[in-house]
Amino acid sequence: MATELNLEALRDEIDKIDEVIVRLLDSRARCAYTVGRLKHELGRPIYEPAREAAVIAHVRKVSAELGGPLDGDAVARLYERIMDEARCIQRLEAERDARENSKSDVAAGL
Amino acid sequence: MVVVMKERASDTDVEAVIASLVEMGMDVHRSTGASRIVLGVVGGGKVDPRLIELMSGVQEIVRITQPYKLASRTFKPEDTTITIGDLRIGGDEVVVIAGPCSAESEAQVHATAAAVKRAGAKILRGGAFKPRSSPYSFQGMGEAGLQLLRSGANAHDLKLVTEVMDASQIEVIGKYADIYQVGARNMQNFTLLRELGRTRKPILLKRGIAATMEEWLLSAEYILAGGNTDVILCERGIRTFETFTRNTLDLSAIPIIKELSHLPIFVDPSHGMGRRDKVAPMARAAVAAGADGLIIEVHNDPDHALSDGAQSMFPAQFDRLMAELRIIAPAIGRSICLEPVARRGWAR
Repeated sequence: MATELNLEALRDEIDKIDEVIVRLLDSRARCAYTVGRLKHELGRPIYEPAREAAVIAHVRKVSAELGGPLDGDAVARLYERIMDEARCIQRLEAERDARENSKSDVAAGL
Repeated sequence: MVVVMKERASDTDVEAVIASLVEMGMDVHRSTGASRIVLGVVGGGKVDPRLIELMSGVQEIVRITQPYKLASRTFKPEDTTITIGDLRIGGDEVVVIAGPCSAESEAQVHATAAAVKRAGAKILRGGAFKPRSSPYSFQGMGEAGLQLLRSGANAHDLKLVTEVMDASQIEVIGKYADIYQVGARNMQNFTLLRELGRTRKPILLKRGIAATMEEWLLSAEYILAGGNTDVILCERGIRTFETFTRNTLDLSAIPIIKELSHLPIFVDPSHGMGRRDKVAPMARAAVAAGADGLIIEVHNDPDHALSDGAQSMFPAQFDRLMAELRIIAPAIGRSICLEPVARRGWAR
């Protein structure tokens, strides 16, 4: 009985952590969105491998400092997913821009 | 699609592949495994897989979707049925097409049509324009042959299928035939297929002698893309190392096409085997494997046929085959020749 109570408590804890994670991912995605807009204005490509490598190196270092069960490789794999989504957000935004530009070209009779 | 990188692919290799895919408008999901990296590629962009395959560090490309759309089962989950007058192709009934290789004379066409009708065939076959391997072989009777075939079909209440070899023949054949046949040699004659896509008559599309199922379905796609939705696929044997038979009849095409496509599939055991004594067993196997129909060469006097005599059945052999098929078809929940047939010798 005691074990079951513990399990429930731990699952509640996980649910609370997930809320924080999703909120943090949301903040990260908003940043990535703004980065995408800036890249667009600066004429830089969506995919910047050097930057992605730097992000992975950074989170590996943080994970090493924590020393928990989630090792550097596991954190790197999770971040690959997160950056896949960031790239997707930036691509969709770039496509929307391109569509709107072509519309305004039409409107301007170009 | 999925891009599998080589074990020794460098970071630069992987980055170059991702960069190309992103540039093509695709979303890339990078997965780093213990020994190699796999890239999942999704999205609406246009990718030429061969270009990616050539890039440094790429081991292989695994395509997930098929290049044909309208012909695919994904596009249309239910079976296509084709109606010609009172005849339905692709339904429960297994439809048998039979007749001579070529129209040769009025007597030959009428005698053969009468024989195949009696045995239970629903469609008469016969060539007026013949694609022969040798230019010195009999080339067919042309429009005169079409007239003979039409009158033979009408006299015995049969539909008519005949081969169209060239776009210039579409109009004249259209006046006589109910179904256009595209022969194995023309399966990738894309200008002909496009023209047939504009017609509104069913097309019996034979598999090319060295065509993969995918190439075959892409040929069907040409016709479907033109707006003609009535395509019947027909397996007629492919070239293999075996020389005993004329071709190797690939009956595995039946269940595979049934899975990949919604189009009806017929089997031509006559051309596949090239020997009349081997036609019946393969015809029986085709029906058992789920073919929607058969196309079989029958000649009233095969020994004096002007083309393909060796693979044409005698009317009595065809009669016996039909009797056997009537026993096999119900075993897999199908029927064959729904009309009652007059009792004759085979029914003993």
